[in-house]
Amino acid sequence: MSGFLLEYLPILIVFGIATVLSLLFLVAAKIMAPASGDVEKLSTYECGFNAFDDSRMKFDVQFYLVAILFIIFDLEIAFLFPYAVSLDKVGIYGWAVVMIFLSELIWGLYYAWKKGALDWQ
Amino acid sequence: MANVINFILPFLPELLLAFFASQLLVFGVVKKERTDLVRWIAIGLLVVFALAGLFVGVPGTTAFNGALINDDFSYIAKAIIGLAAAAALLFSESYLKSERLDQYEFSVLVLYAVLGMSIMVSSNSLLSLYIGIEMQSLALYVLAAFNRDSLRASEAGLKYFVLGALSSGLLLYGISMVYGFTGSLTFDTIGAVVSSGDVSPGVIAGMVFMLCGLGFKISAAPFHMWTPDVYEGSPTPVTGFFASAPKFAAMALIARVLMDPFMGIQDSWQQVIIVLSVASMIVGVFGALMQTNIKRLMAYSSIANMGYALVALSAGTVAGVNGMLIFMSIYLITSIGLFACILQMRIRDGMVEQISDVAGLSTTQPRLALMFTVLLFSLMGMPPLLGFFGKISAFYPAIDAGLTWLVVVALIASVVGAFYYLRIIKTIWFEEQDRQFVKPATALSVLSGVSTLILVAVLFLPFISAPVKTAFGAAAASLF
Amino acid sequence: MITAIAFYLLAAVSVASAFMVIASRNPVHSVMFLILTFFSAAGLFILMGAEFLALLLIMVYVGAVAVLFLFVVMMLEVDFVALKQGFLQYIGLGATVAVVLLTELILVGAAYFAGDGNTATPPNPDESNLEAFGHVLYTDYAFFFEASGFILLVAMIGAIVLTLRERDGVRKQDISKQIARTREDAVEMVDLKSGEGIGS
Repeated sequence: MSGFLLEYLPILIVFGIATVLSLLFLVAAKIMAPASGDVEKLSTYECGFNAFDDSRMKFDVQFYLVAILFIIFDLEIAFLFPYAVSLDKVGIYGWAVVMIFLSELIWGLYYAWKKGALDWQ
Repeated sequence: MANVINFILPFLPELLLAFFASQLLVFGVVKKERTDLVRWIAIGLLVVFALAGLFVGVPGTTAFNGALINDDFSYIAKAIIGLAAAAALLFSESYLKSERLDQYEFSVLVLYAVLGMSIMVSSNSLLSLYIGIEMQSLALYVLAAFNRDSLRASEAGLKYFVLGALSSGLLLYGISMVYGFTGSLTFDTIGAVVSSGDVSPGVIAGMVFMLCGLGFKISAAPFHMWTPDVYEGSPTPVTGFFASAPKFAAMALIARVLMDPFMGIQDSWQQVIIVLSVASMIVGVFGALMQTNIKRLMAYSSIANMGYALVALSAGTVAGVNGMLIFMSIYLITSIGLFACILQMRIRDGMVEQISDVAGLSTTQPRLALMFTVLLFSLMGMPPLLGFFGKISAFYPAIDAGLTWLVVVALIASVVGAFYYLRIIKTIWFEEQDRQFVKPATALSVLSGVSTLILVAVLFLPFISAPVKTAFGAAAASLF
Repeated sequence: MITAIAFYLLAAVSVASAFMVIASRNPVHSVMFLILTFFSAAGLFILMGAEFLALLLIMVYVGAVAVLFLFVVMMLEVDFVALKQGFLQYIGLGATVAVVLLTELILVGAAYFAGDGNTATPPNPDESNLEAFGHVLYTDYAFFFEASGFILLVAMIGAIVLTLRERDGVRKQDISKQIARTREDAVEMVDLKSGEGIGS
């Protein structure tokens, strides 16, 4: 069990380094940078006016479509990971199955493409 | 080669449906402006698909390592689902055109929904059950919100989606419990474990969760909350589709799940089904009393009718499944006819859907008024019409199984329900005319006429009804 | 020992960040804490030896779903502060539901351990579960695999049908049109006499 977990030691070390490094920068900035903020300095600055609006605004629905299409193809890729390591075991049958799966989604891609869903308007 | 053919043949209709649906998707996007052609091809495909199983099917085969099973039950169910979906496509045409919604994806989505339903009714493992339901519901969510510029349709789609996702979660939770406690996903193995006697409470809890999830799909109370809003908000032909094929598929799926893997714990599921059934009948008939919108009324009516169908299932016998099949088929015919009539309620400014709008229909359009009346009488269960025999075949098995009190409740519900059907009929015949409907599309008149004729005439034509009865009996028997 | 420490650490982080998802005032912070929850759950999966599930969790949930959440949080332009005003009103109902769910889970767990308690053993302990997954997914479970492909296809159609709209007045680049352009329809040769111009 621990032998298996030992394989993840590099990832843990990377995490450790990343945490230490980012904390270091934060702390360093806190200590070294001059900071004397007051309410006016920290408030949103909009060309001399008070802020008109929240910083959140309506995105175009196109972003949403792109995100959804991304998720769908992301899931498709997730289905293909096991194929990469079991290619030698599943043989020609598994190959055919994966090709049918891919063709289903290529059909979808073709539809999206022709429909213009991938064009930015 | 012969091996491959034997492997594919039992599910050739499904494979062809999947293949041609994808082809249509691409064909439609390449050849724009050919929406009608796509629709007619889709209707043809559905009819072929419906009849294929009945004529060339090999009952008793399983495919894909036991994921799917073909028996008389699944053939009958697929035939009814395919024909109902074809009818829904047929009556959608004029509506979609006049509401400027005529996109060819509508037909393609209906095809995928039917593909999901056919996986549902022939599923032989918990995984294919879930995948079938998901494929079906995903297509239906989109159909509900198909009129995306309408606030009500978007709301309907969103509500349906959120509650549908919740029900899928319940279903999946139940499935995982059943899998965990029986150690198998296939119905045969689960059935063997369950009927071996020593059933752990986990299996029963999982079964109850699964029934709750499936109860959402047939809109049985107390899981009915989405139905009125979704029925009212969705485009009317989509509502007509919702009221027919998906209900039948989910009901058939419940029958298979109860009679196949969970037959050994009949005592446990019988209580759940009885609770669902009584609650649906009460909510359905009393909710309908107050409605003024005819689509909302149909929603409550469908809730009540699901309650009647569950009365038949609660018997847990061959006769019960047979009664459920007969009742549901007659209900499907009636509701397709009724929605074809509702779609004819069009004045010059657009669709109207209030009950008061049918006032005086008997003088302006006597034919439509007559069809409306016959369909409503049949839904009520008036004796000479087919609906009466549907209710008889649904209630008798329950009496034989010793559930007389349940049948009494169902009869009382029918009597109360008759009130709001009669109210519409009274509005049609005895109130002053105030609307002038425009001339309906041919497809609508034909559909409503055909279903009216079936309801009136089939009883007098034993050479039609006898073989159908035999086929349903064989279908019900094949589950046990 | 280390496994136990790692488990308690990850479990504590996931529970705490799950709490912060609903407790934090800023919705963007909520999404960030959600990502942290997914992340620690992925760590728990790895501790159980289910590295494929951990990979999926990171890739699909952290990589894609959380991004979509951020989009929605940004896009909806909902006043989340006002939305959270009634939070305490529902705490009773929410707590009831939570307690019921917890009881059910405990009951199920108890029933499981009170039974014979047999757990599934992997058929071949030497291979990683990614490989084990691949061996059955493309053979025994091929049907489910293909059917999921169709579900993804339906999802794609649905997303496009519901959100894509043709806009007027958009100048799009049409590459095939550009390439199909020939010298003949692009260039006009005119013989000019001196002093007359191209007046037509």
